[in-house]
Amino acid sequence: MPDFSLTAEQESLRDLARKFARTEMAPHAAECDKVGRFPEEIYRKAFDLGLMNLNVPAEYGGSGLGVTEQCLIVEELAHACGGMTTSVIANCLALEPILLGGTPEQKDRILKPFCAEYHLASFCLTEPSGGSDAGGLKTHARREGEEYVLDGEKCFITNAPNASLYTVFATVDPSLKHRGITAFVVPRTAKGVTPGKDEEKMGHRASSTSTVQFENVRVPVADRLGAEGEGFSVAMRTLDQTRTPIGALATGIAQAALDHAAAYSLKRQTFGKAIAEHQAIQIKLANMAQSVHAARLLTWHAAWTIDHGAKGTLESSIAKCFASDAALHVADEAIQTFGGYGYMKEYPVEKLLRDAKLTQIYEGANEIQRTVIARELLAKYA
Amino acid sequence: MEIVVCVKPVPEAETRLRASADGKNLDPESVKFVLAGYDESAVEQALLLKEAVPGSAVHVVSYGPGPRTEEVLRSAIALGCDRATWVESPNDDGAAPGVAARALALAVAPLPHDLVLCGKQAGDDESGIVAAALGELLGVPDFSAVIDLRWDPAAARLKFQRATEAGQETWEAPTPCVVGLQQAWNDPRTAKLPAILKSRKATIAKVPAGAPPPTGPQNLPEKFELPPPRTGAKMVEYQTPEEAAQKLVKLLREEAKVFP
Repeated sequence: MPDFSLTAEQESLRDLARKFARTEMAPHAAECDKVGRFPEEIYRKAFDLGLMNLNVPAEYGGSGLGVTEQCLIVEELAHACGGMTTSVIANCLALEPILLGGTPEQKDRILKPFCAEYHLASFCLTEPSGGSDAGGLKTHARREGEEYVLDGEKCFITNAPNASLYTVFATVDPSLKHRGITAFVVPRTAKGVTPGKDEEKMGHRASSTSTVQFENVRVPVADRLGAEGEGFSVAMRTLDQTRTPIGALATGIAQAALDHAAAYSLKRQTFGKAIAEHQAIQIKLANMAQSVHAARLLTWHAAWTIDHGAKGTLESSIAKCFASDAALHVADEAIQTFGGYGYMKEYPVEKLLRDAKLTQIYEGANEIQRTVIARELLAKYA
Repeated sequence: MEIVVCVKPVPEAETRLRASADGKNLDPESVKFVLAGYDESAVEQALLLKEAVPGSAVHVVSYGPGPRTEEVLRSAIALGCDRATWVESPNDDGAAPGVAARALALAVAPLPHDLVLCGKQAGDDESGIVAAALGELLGVPDFSAVIDLRWDPAAARLKFQRATEAGQETWEAPTPCVVGLQQAWNDPRTAKLPAILKSRKATIAKVPAGAPPPTGPQNLPEKFELPPPRTGAKMVEYQTPEEAAQKLVKLLREEAKVFP
């Protein structure tokens, strides 16, 4: 049987994240959500404590954690604020292509100075005409001598307005479809790189999101990750690594919703007793608890699978898909438990629903996750 | 400066306590143990002095049963302490400060110590005895409720304030001495992730509590029980403060009967 107990090290990492989430993030979550503020001072503190570049090996200045440890941390952070967590962990997504596709020289040259100080990076895959259909992306990379010239537009890019580095996926030949896609590292300072204005979003309002325009951006061949045409594989392998922590992020939101609902149900009185004593609410809470527990275990299992050297595509897709659906459901039921108060912005649960929604969409929409799950499943029967 | 900090694991403030099966102690399964609050300040103060006085080192010492004692020592190392010694208690006799002070004194005496820092009291039993007892047992002066502790290199003396009921006293003390700390210059720092990972691999010197282990007056609990659940509060509805006061006085007189 698998061992579900955490090591002392894992517990101390979780404690660090929990303390940071409660003392630094939670007190500002409602305000940042209300006005759509990007709390850079909190992200700087997260960096200072080593909570930002979790997946980057220590030799390049990161924290060098496995996916399991990342999940433990991400769940705790998301319990306080899903939006802030998205911004804190966006570097993991943006830097993973360098870890997977970069040469030792590139990792040394790019990651070391990047991780030595507070910097944000953005993963630039999605385009206005499509995100799920990544093989059909239109941003073009034209080779000119020892340089590529990038032209195109990316959208819904997390942290883009605040990032100093972009990992960009572009095609060297659209007719090659996904076999033409190539990955590049592009500094914000490169001529022709223009992030757009921060988008107004439904949730994750403490995180920034914008388009990024690339107009005649000259990128040295030395900043190409892997060979021409290897970009699609780098992107997919990146998402295999980072999808599971999104499951943990969703689990954190779901746990927060359950915590709020359960605590409220013990205080709120109707018909002469706490609503927690009414069976209707007990059944609600029991179902919510099942969803949260299952989401966490699926996430842990996917993380464990990947940390033991497997690709974990099926497991991480199941975890991300289930946990994000669970987060939406549990947040919805938390609002219902609060009744009219739950619908009011003065109470914390409606934010959880808005934050949960994004987890069904980003890092692979749940429809894509189900496509992946079905493909992996049917391959076993074919 | 050679600084020794003595720390104690105590139940985290948010812990939902349960009594053990025999009803004579806390159920250790129900408790998460952390560094006591004033001890956190003592560690912070030790690290601040280490940073201010070149060539200093901080040695953290704790007396208690495993694994909680080892865990708080690792958390102190993650914060920046250089070395750690775990004086292993033969049993979970956490409620006996006199015994703890004897065990700690035996462990601290052979260590180089210009300054022995403790939290002024621990958040579980609040006894506030260990710092004073350590001073006595080590044969050095001791001071409690200390704030604003600084080292004056020119005078080669510690300078600090003591918070008393009458106000603040200003003190100077030679080294070595024992200080029960109330407040460091800063809020206690948070350990960083790489330091936490490194602390897991740190060597902790483990010493027995002494042979035979120190004994002394014990004040072990007869029985642990949770306070009775609170009964319902009565909310008074009112329009004006005057009306609220009138209604409260009426209730206090007629229902609670605290006034004749």
